[in-house]
Amino acid sequence: MAQTMFERYGGFANVSKVVMAFYDRALDSDTVGAYFEDTDLKALIDHQTQFIAQVMGGPEVYTNEVLQGVHARLGITDAAFDEMTSILGETLQDFEFDRSDIDQVIDDLRSRRQYIVTA
Amino acid sequence: MNLEKFNEVLLESVGVGLAVLEPNTLEIRFGNRRFLEWFPGTVSADMTLREVLPDLDYRRLEERLTEDRPFTAETELKVKRRTVILGLQITRMSDQDMSVVIVECQNISKIKELEYMIESYSKMVEKQNRTLQREKERVEKLLLNIMPKSVYEELKSFGVTTPQKYAAASVLMLDFVGFTDMAISDDPSGVITELNDIFTAFDRIAEQFGCERIKTIGDAYMAVSGLPEPTPDHAHNIAKVALLFVRYLERRNAGNAQQWRCRIGINSGTVIGSIVGIQKYVYDIFGPGVNLASRMEAQSDPMEISLCEDMYELIKHDFRFTELGEIEVKGFGRKSLYRLDGTQEPLSMVP
Repeated sequence: MAQTMFERYGGFANVSKVVMAFYDRALDSDTVGAYFEDTDLKALIDHQTQFIAQVMGGPEVYTNEVLQGVHARLGITDAAFDEMTSILGETLQDFEFDRSDIDQVIDDLRSRRQYIVTA
Repeated sequence: MNLEKFNEVLLESVGVGLAVLEPNTLEIRFGNRRFLEWFPGTVSADMTLREVLPDLDYRRLEERLTEDRPFTAETELKVKRRTVILGLQITRMSDQDMSVVIVECQNISKIKELEYMIESYSKMVEKQNRTLQREKERVEKLLLNIMPKSVYEELKSFGVTTPQKYAAASVLMLDFVGFTDMAISDDPSGVITELNDIFTAFDRIAEQFGCERIKTIGDAYMAVSGLPEPTPDHAHNIAKVALLFVRYLERRNAGNAQQWRCRIGINSGTVIGSIVGIQKYVYDIFGPGVNLASRMEAQSDPMEISLCEDMYELIKHDFRFTELGEIEVKGFGRKSLYRLDGTQEPLSMVP
């Protein structure tokens, strides 16, 4: 069986650093940081860990229905969505991910825009 | 730089937040730069620790300080958007002429985040393990459909299986008279549905008597007793199963337009059981015991069960037979042929 992206980039040991960096950048951003301001830290980290693991070929936790459910009341704008995808892209670049892998992740994410953007 | 100055610089530049409290009121008398970043204005406003951190367990704190032992706690605060988690350690320090309470605060947010992340990830892994386990059980169930459990265990442990020789086993071969004509008549799919129905009933009967269906090929059905688990009753079991197959068909035919007439050959002898194939596994049986059963089937008239002297000797006291005389069996020489008519005792589904 082919290795997933998750395995190729060093499994949890390395991916955990990606999750941390992604979370840090998101909080620093003036466009999207506010969305996370009142979120419980533990829940947020839980979501981001599962999410990053999933986009890298780990087990699927967030089906489109689930994504729609959890984002429904957050009033996420297109601008916020674009910012979030670009933050993820930059984070993955910082961790020396291959261009093609980054594109794959970002394309997957973009294809789910309609389930996340509600404003 | 003198030592006093050095200590002062050190105190202000360390990453740990430090505060000095009055021991009775817990009023904050001094805070270093890091402490005041987290708790601004607390010193100039003469605030007490209770006012700054109302959620601490002060009863416990007092107990610990009285025992001269450190009190530890965690607290969360927001710095801009970030949740900062501080680990607190509060200790009393005394010498002859004065006593103070020292508060140390360390930023343990990253450690906490990692802790949460590991927790989240282990939950994912556990969930994945459960999914894998279910999948494994599903595959196992499928494989057990095509091979006996003991053979499956061998395949799982060693990756290969060795053919096994069973000296004491009995084989049943069955096919239907005129099946080819039945299948191409008006309703081929109806015929196949009925065949499936009948074979399912056969499987249930065979299972009752500890026999195992090896395979079906078209309208042919093959069952075996005495392998992979040896049983001294293999010949009796197969003979009973054969009689019940015929009885089942008679009852079915009585109420049905479509008539199913079988021919059955049974035999006891040496059988080799083995998995055949690498990518597509089939568990199959071979050997003289199997061939002779097949010859017996060919000798049978419709709705009759044939066997020869080899098996007859094993079960002659418990069943009724009709002698059919000697015939020449290809590859086996001359054999006395018998027709199995029934049991001495009434036969029921329960063995």
